[in-house]
Amino acid sequence: MNLADILSRCGMATLILALLLSPFEKAAAQWSIPEELRASLSALNDEQVEFVSSGAALEFIPEWQLEHELATRDADSLRTLVDDLMSVAAEMGYDPNRDMGATPLNLASKRFNKGKLPTPEPLRELKRDAGPFSVHRYLFPTSGVPTFAGAKVAIWPEDLVAGKVDVAIIGIPSNAGSGRRDARNGPNAMRAINTIAATDQQSLVEPHEMLSVVDYGDFNVDGMSTELTVDHVTDMVAETAETGAIPMLVGGDTSMLYPGVKGIAKARGSGTFGLLQLNAHPDSERFDDHTVSDRSAMFLLLNEGIVNGNETVQVGLRGSALDVDTLQWLRSKEVRYHTMAEIQQRGFDEVLQKVIREVDKGPDAFFVSIDVSVIDPGDMVAAGRIVPNGLSIDEVTRAIRHVCAAKDIVGFEITDLAPMLDLSHLSVINANAVLNACLVGIAVRKAGLEPDYVHPLVLDHGQR
Amino acid sequence: MASDNVRWVQPIWNIEMKNVCVAAAAALFVSSTTVVLASDEPVDTPEHVVGEQAYPFDSNDPREEDDKPPIELPDSVAPKLALLTPQELEFLKSSDARDFTGPIEDTIETLNERTPEEVQAWVQAMQQVVNHNHYEEGRDTPNIQLNTSSPRFYAWRLQRPRSMDPAREAGPVPLGRYDGDGGPPTFGGHPLALSKEDLIAGEIDVAILGAPLNMGSGWRDSGQRATAELRLISWPLGSADQYALLNASKILNIVDYGDVAVDNDNTERSMSHIREIVREIASTGAIPMIVGGDHSLEYPNVAGLADVYGKEKVSVIHFDSHYDAWWGGNHLIGHGYPVYRLINEGHVRAEDYIQVGLRSRGPDKSGFKWMREKGMRYHNMGEVEVRGWDAVLDRVVAEASEEGRKLHISFDIDVLDPAFAVATGTPVPGGLTMREAIPIVRRLCAESNVVGFDLVELHPALDPTYKTTLNSTHIIKACLTGLAMNKEGIDAKHYLSPLSSEHAIDDYYGEQQKYLDATKAEEEKEEESEE
Repeated sequence: MNLADILSRCGMATLILALLLSPFEKAAAQWSIPEELRASLSALNDEQVEFVSSGAALEFIPEWQLEHELATRDADSLRTLVDDLMSVAAEMGYDPNRDMGATPLNLASKRFNKGKLPTPEPLRELKRDAGPFSVHRYLFPTSGVPTFAGAKVAIWPEDLVAGKVDVAIIGIPSNAGSGRRDARNGPNAMRAINTIAATDQQSLVEPHEMLSVVDYGDFNVDGMSTELTVDHVTDMVAETAETGAIPMLVGGDTSMLYPGVKGIAKARGSGTFGLLQLNAHPDSERFDDHTVSDRSAMFLLLNEGIVNGNETVQVGLRGSALDVDTLQWLRSKEVRYHTMAEIQQRGFDEVLQKVIREVDKGPDAFFVSIDVSVIDPGDMVAAGRIVPNGLSIDEVTRAIRHVCAAKDIVGFEITDLAPMLDLSHLSVINANAVLNACLVGIAVRKAGLEPDYVHPLVLDHGQR
Repeated sequence: MASDNVRWVQPIWNIEMKNVCVAAAAALFVSSTTVVLASDEPVDTPEHVVGEQAYPFDSNDPREEDDKPPIELPDSVAPKLALLTPQELEFLKSSDARDFTGPIEDTIETLNERTPEEVQAWVQAMQQVVNHNHYEEGRDTPNIQLNTSSPRFYAWRLQRPRSMDPAREAGPVPLGRYDGDGGPPTFGGHPLALSKEDLIAGEIDVAILGAPLNMGSGWRDSGQRATAELRLISWPLGSADQYALLNASKILNIVDYGDVAVDNDNTERSMSHIREIVREIASTGAIPMIVGGDHSLEYPNVAGLADVYGKEKVSVIHFDSHYDAWWGGNHLIGHGYPVYRLINEGHVRAEDYIQVGLRSRGPDKSGFKWMREKGMRYHNMGEVEVRGWDAVLDRVVAEASEEGRKLHISFDIDVLDPAFAVATGTPVPGGLTMREAIPIVRRLCAESNVVGFDLVELHPALDPTYKTTLNSTHIIKACLTGLAMNKEGIDAKHYLSPLSSEHAIDDYYGEQQKYLDATKAEEEKEEESEE
């Protein structure tokens, strides 16, 4: 059986259709073969001509090179090239007789679901009354077991309820996705270098005075599979939100954006809150061969209607996945996106005002998410998916603090800090500064102050 | 079609695509002669899972089998058990319950502390955990579904047709303009090869393959960085060796075989492709040297060798602080499982495994007992502590060089002490020094019949000094030197050049004449071969 037989059986139209549905639909649709090169098509049979002139080949070869090959190759060599390209085109998709379509697991394992079940109450050895508790011996501790924001520890939902907890900070030490790895150490690194939740120097609000904050431990992940992690994290985030506490999630790689936001939606309803996302990466891959990953986290949230595109604001986009098709898709979903190119053109302050207006027009409730890659490597070298030319830590914290103070925050998530990649620890300090910006914002709002309130004592020394 | 109509489950257009174009793809895969596929070897081995097949081997862990009899509870606690159903009572006495309750004395103590109601809740909670942890059909998914509707499903490993680049003859490709130098970095500055034809045409002895797999390896940076930085700091791989006084790159035909495609969101998915590329290298008679990524690689590396040399025909020496024969979790591969999986699938016999440098928190008693019963030769750092390194070195080399063995060396750099290799996913102090590691690797590659080698678990970003990467390249170099010695027929026990290892100007060690004679003999042999 030769290629022509296969194609006549398969139907050229289907092959072309499949390619036109691919991410290269646009490039393929716009290209047409230059008039002066049409003569070289005479070397090809009908199917080959159709493949070339439809633009289907452009998924595999740049336009300029295809034109160059058409202009310079002899008939035999051109036929070989087009045949080979048609062959790879036919191999692109899933073949159930060739490819593994689902990864088998060890069904004989006695630990198949281990780690996804919090210890049932009768098996907990320590009996204690519900409520957050301190890990310190001293009334005014300066060191000891590290916790997020130096906060008390809570373990069970009843601890959150009994302590009327406002904010539960939670680690999700996932370590998959497409970045340089080490996100699993993010939560503990941020616990260990706790530089936050002190008196806010702008408003003089004391976060711990205004809010009941706890370290709610980590949610377990399956280190070998994001797919086997998302349901548990979704359920645990939802359970936390249902107690009335605001989950502040610390990743973990950015695939955890999906269960983080989905968990809040499970507790409060899909489409009931807006999403502010600061990220260098659009994470809107529509054609991923995995059912969930960092690359597709935003796509899943928008595609499943967990958040509405017109209530989603993305800031700082500049990663390599930011191509024409992705931007057009975001636009078609009515996402309010702001690339670094826009910020460089307009200046950060102008774009920030635009972002604030867009957030103001959205629902009262907002989820704030940041992938630390949005921050410039100068301030955040330990970003898992690092991209140069980002926002400064000052710009990021101003934006987050404002939104967390202006809106009813239903959840916060910081992802993709890979602390071992920064020997200076600066990245961890700045990651904590980002978390602190939202925590302070929530405290300022609870204190009944305007989002950008500045205490008169700090604005001016008052001496004549 | 608008992109937002894409559904993960069976989009309408995709059914058509599956039926028609997948058939075309399958037909092409079998019949096409125009496309050079990754390998001409068949893929119908039972462990090559396609579609949604289950794992085709028994996956029970024999080390976990229950042989503990149920406990007998004294009559004194009978009132506490009043509310238990017969099944609950049976469970409480079973070994499943002992994972929670500990020894019988603890069980009795706990029962005495609780009311009958509390005892019932306690037993039910234990049963809940046990039931939850087991796989249950209908409740749990038996596999990890991939997005098979992606039109780019196969793109990650699709090979570039040769016809897209200017025509060239098959063979190794030098990348630089100055006698091959001055191009982009390759392993040791050796030329590049990208296909089986290149290996055959170049009569290649050693193909160094980058494998940037890093899903399963502790704290880590990207796998790509490991293979890239190994190339940056790989000048030792092309340079002379002073111990044996030879230059491997003048004796062996060595190539950089590029990197193998991996899926760093799914280790299992990467396995069959890596195995295919390793098989492709080995089928030409070249020795695959797989470098960079996590230790899951040992599985496809050795399975690929077994495809070529036959099942249970290859021995493996596993240098590692961990024994990597863990099993029994929900996943079937990870950087802690390759040894068990290779044995479980019959690629290697347990008695053909040699383990060196073990010192991590495991295996426990049952693991060591299992190794001893299976006939695995293990050498943990305790043995080194008692016998000294030199004795262990000789014993290991003797075991590995036994008549008839074909040997794969799997070298996890965490076998080195973190002082020498801090940039690894799971470092464990108390390991080998470079002065111990270089001789054993050189000797094995010279004195045994080595058919494969891997160096894994390198994460350069974790070491700002580049020391770990440098040490990694010198381990690889030690093997290249050994392989070159072997090819030259220098396989005497612990050969070192008599010229470089002794100045022989005086008789300090009482062996002056021996060294002078040996040097002279070598010179005469060289003159003979030149004539």
